[in-house]
Amino acid sequence: MSVVARLDEAKAARRGTPLIAFNGTTLRLGGKTIIEQLDLEVRPGEFVCIVGASGCGKTTALRLAAGLYRPSEGAVTFNGEPMTEPRREVAVVFQDYGKALLPWRTAAGNISLALEASRVPSRERNGRIDALLRKVGLPGHADKYPTEMSGGMQQRLQIARCLAQEPTTLLMDEPFGALDAMTRQGLQDEVLSLTQASRTTVIFVTHDLDEAIYLGDRVIGLLPHPGRIGIEIDVNLPRPRDQLATREHPEFLRLRRQLFDFIKATEH
Amino acid sequence: MNRAAILWRVASILVAAGFIAAWQLVANLKLVSPVFLPGPDRAWTALVRGFSSGDLASKLIGTLEHMAYGWLAASIAGIALGALIGSSKLMRAYVAPSLEFLRPLPVSAIIPVAIAMLGLTQGMALFVIAFGAIWPIMLATIHGFAAVEPRLYEVARALQMSRMAVIAKIALPSALPDILAGMRLSLTVALILSVVCEILAGLDGLGHWVLLSARAFRSADLFAGVILLGATGYLTSVAMSVVEQRLLAWQAAAR
Repeated sequence: MSVVARLDEAKAARRGTPLIAFNGTTLRLGGKTIIEQLDLEVRPGEFVCIVGASGCGKTTALRLAAGLYRPSEGAVTFNGEPMTEPRREVAVVFQDYGKALLPWRTAAGNISLALEASRVPSRERNGRIDALLRKVGLPGHADKYPTEMSGGMQQRLQIARCLAQEPTTLLMDEPFGALDAMTRQGLQDEVLSLTQASRTTVIFVTHDLDEAIYLGDRVIGLLPHPGRIGIEIDVNLPRPRDQLATREHPEFLRLRRQLFDFIKATEH
Repeated sequence: MNRAAILWRVASILVAAGFIAAWQLVANLKLVSPVFLPGPDRAWTALVRGFSSGDLASKLIGTLEHMAYGWLAASIAGIALGALIGSSKLMRAYVAPSLEFLRPLPVSAIIPVAIAMLGLTQGMALFVIAFGAIWPIMLATIHGFAAVEPRLYEVARALQMSRMAVIAKIALPSALPDILAGMRLSLTVALILSVVCEILAGLDGLGHWVLLSARAFRSADLFAGVILLGATGYLTSVAMSVVEQRLLAWQAAAR
């Protein structure tokens, strides 16, 4: 399944067609326009960050991409097909890891949920679970309940559960918003190394502009009421990124200035 | 168990022993006529004699059967109906007012109705016990299903889990603490109604035994039956907490 999806993705890349595309997407909820006429294309393997003031619809845009909302007008497509329902190759990392994990299942059990949904035979599950826990830096925590883990560990666990879906695309909604600065930086680097190695496409919503520039190939700034694209900047910083060198790079500082000015302007 | 816990346990046993001693004292001093109040010694003798003759054991089994069947029927129906109502906002809106009317209805009031319709039969007892015991379970299940974290349903959608899998793996385990609490409450209701049905319908059980003993002024036998009913209530409740602790081990981890 995922191999086929990856081949499709490679083909799409050669044709230059986007993996995820918003075409004139509008979303109205309860008579309010949340997103208006959004046009956005995400290429396979690209890391796109979405920033904006609170209430600008960045989480809503992500939910549209996930198929959790259906657009009122326009379309959201995945590999050229309309995204009307969630699909297994698109994994969502929610911000509130405490609510997104099953408190009655251990770390292993939470990862198993995704494997069960993908119909992985039970004899294969344990090996896969161990590998995933190692991948996200949680080896030896298989039998812990989420409530016995720190916030950073819980978010790692949620990421592991998403990786268990073997996604080609990862949609992350302010995943590190509730974590302390040190944990945050560690997880940023881990997400980069996990997704760059497998060429996973990422849409990453954050309110932290530095984080957006540090992680992204491209940063989209949304304007609020209703949500629409206000700025789009390409980040041509060398990879692999480095917490010190990248953040001191003159280009990083220039983009940071540009983005801060944009956000400041939207707040007036 | 730490030192303090052991001391508390010892203290609670001492209090219970004090009650029994006081009971013995009142009986020995004949403050109440021995015809009505036997001492714990006579009650114990009656208990042992009742069991060795086999009478009391069969009555106990009779009551346990009434209780168990009624409670199990209430549990199955209560969880199924509660899940159905609790998982749909529309159903909750439609059904909740009727439930609010039926819930405070004293079950003893429907016993004459049940007798009129079903006669003095085991079926009548099963109906009455199940009807009384279903409320705590059903209401707790409705609450449990209504309170499932919405984010978990989104996780299930993102994983494209089937409807059955969502119920079995998300909704039911999430509602389980509520369901078990309801089942525990219903256990007591089922015991009470078992005894009431046995007394009213003359069905074989401890209720009937207690009634006959009282009529024959066999106060020791009467007390033996009452003690046995108390023990039944206590032990079923303890068994239920053991089950709860095992099924909800994850909650202990959270504390």
